[in-house]
Amino acid sequence: CASFKGKLNIGVDTIQHGVEGLVYLLTESSKLMISEVDFQDSIHVLGFSDELNKSLLQLYLDNRKEIRSILGELAPRLPSYHSLEWRLDVQLASRSLRQQIKPAVTMKLHLNQNEDQTAQVLQTDPATLLHLIQQLEQALGEMKMNHCRRIVRNMK
Amino acid sequence: ILDDPDLKDIDPTVLKHCHAAAATCILEAGKQKADISAISTCLEDCKLDKERIEQFCTEYQKMTFSLNIVVSFSIGRSPLHITDVSWRLEYQIKNNQLHKTYQPSYLVTLNVENSDSGSHPDVSFSCTMEQLQDLVGKLKDAAKSLERATQM
Repeated sequence: CASFKGKLNIGVDTIQHGVEGLVYLLTESSKLMISEVDFQDSIHVLGFSDELNKSLLQLYLDNRKEIRSILGELAPRLPSYHSLEWRLDVQLASRSLRQQIKPAVTMKLHLNQNEDQTAQVLQTDPATLLHLIQQLEQALGEMKMNHCRRIVRNMK
Repeated sequence: ILDDPDLKDIDPTVLKHCHAAAATCILEAGKQKADISAISTCLEDCKLDKERIEQFCTEYQKMTFSLNIVVSFSIGRSPLHITDVSWRLEYQIKNNQLHKTYQPSYLVTLNVENSDSGSHPDVSFSCTMEQLQDLVGKLKDAAKSLERATQM
């Protein structure tokens, strides 16, 4: 800021306000994803020169995507799926019972929570595994149903 | 047992000892999956008379099945056990940081049970359609290898 002050001969406060104003303009425009026409109309009221308005529009269009992806990181988030490792186990004996044959699937579920990765060890039996698969396949199928397709189409 | 009218003449301490001894004997026999002849031999060594041995073995045979189920499923440690899954499909329109997001996402909750205390907060996570497809693919691989293992 100090170097700019020297070069352009204006106060530090002015520069700060200018930067803040520019940041606000770009983030709000990117957040709302406004069209070119709307952007031009909005800045027209500020009374800048045509050349400046063109530069601002170009700045907006060039940086819009990146600003939106950064803003997307700020949204509230639940732990999200990262990956799953699995292993087939058969329990043959335990302290309380010998000579068993008890199959189980042991899994390690990797989740991301706010830049941290957590791993949870879980286990399930074959019957529950098949039930899980059936339920989750149903979930995947929902996106392809007409109801969801109609809403996705109309919401754009 | 202490309230049973048939047993009220016996010293309660002796009764407790008998009960504990019988229970230990039954559990050990069940644990080792001992057959009737092995149990009889063992009881003979303890100098029990034939009639008593026969009675014990008959009662033991009646309860073997239910005993094994109780012992194998409720006692012992294991990692958190998944019992059920629920899911929710949502379509995000906007949030306070970003408008017009237009993204579908799934919220999956795995209901889990702890072998010790019986309840545990469920494991929930969000995922995209591609991530859910990856998860289902991996679960299907596990199921396939289970099937192959049973055919061996």
